[in-house]
Amino acid sequence: MKDSKMYRHPICKSTELVDDTMKKVTIDTVDVLVGRRNGKLFACNNSCPHKAASLSKGHFNGDNIVCYMHGYEYNIFTGKLEKMSSWKKEDTWVEQDPEWRKSGDLVLYSISEENGTVYVTLK
Amino acid sequence: MTKGEVPNIVALEVLKKNGVNVDKLKELITKGVGAEFTTYYYYTILRMHCTGLEGEGIKEIVEDARIEDRNHFEAMVPRLYELGGSLPRDIRKFADQAGCPDAYLPDNWEDINSILKVLLEAEQCAIRSWGEVCDMTTGKDPRTYDIAQRIMQEEVEHEAWFIELLSKRPSGHFRRKFAGQSPHTGSQGGLIHL
Repeated sequence: MKDSKMYRHPICKSTELVDDTMKKVTIDTVDVLVGRRNGKLFACNNSCPHKAASLSKGHFNGDNIVCYMHGYEYNIFTGKLEKMSSWKKEDTWVEQDPEWRKSGDLVLYSISEENGTVYVTLK
Repeated sequence: MTKGEVPNIVALEVLKKNGVNVDKLKELITKGVGAEFTTYYYYTILRMHCTGLEGEGIKEIVEDARIEDRNHFEAMVPRLYELGGSLPRDIRKFADQAGCPDAYLPDNWEDINSILKVLLEAEQCAIRSWGEVCDMTTGKDPRTYDIAQRIMQEEVEHEAWFIELLSKRPSGHFRRKFAGQSPHTGSQGGLIHL
């Protein structure tokens, strides 16, 4: 049985990934966020590293994906956490505990385009 | 069958066949119930600081939300164990992984609107959090979906109350008959284990 993680999974037609858009696809039981930003493809796990919210519900800010749940920002090409938004809507609110605020980086996947089809490899 | 030998659990088998990532689901649920449990704690503090004439007016509403959020923890935790998950052994780790920020008492708590804004923020995060579980389970895991959507209904009502208090926008419904009524997650709603 082939190892699905090393297999190049055809995801969609290239024309379905218009510039500055993203979509969630599921490979086996893994939700993957794929998209195109400024002409460049990206693929990452759809789960926000902070508290596992769906990144597909977020939006772009430059090369970052902004999580809709707590506003954390991750670079979609490097995977790095770029901004830990504060929950404080007012100055009188007390900041959250650093342990709660902690987050890892995005899990990135390999993505490529060939003959009008986009492929993702989970590894 | 010997002790510790777990047979094939058909209730999990069907989820996997439906494409549910059970590990991810357990993670989301643990974060959700973590948020409910910490909310119960922090709403206690917020309620204590609803003082004066203005505070007295909303104290009971805060209590309604507080007890119902605790009931949400009670409603979903059994399902977590059914799925093969468990609560973290350490309560500190449980709180740190909660899916929503802690509803800390604001520095200017004597302004009742300040407390209301913190309460509102907490409910809104809870709606998003249980919405994630609903999205993941709809059409695939009816048991978890049923519990999560019941919780989400009450969170939507909580949000509506606090919005009504802050902005006068009608919530659309009347007060609870008693604190902890939980019309959707309590025994009246059909979750008989509460």
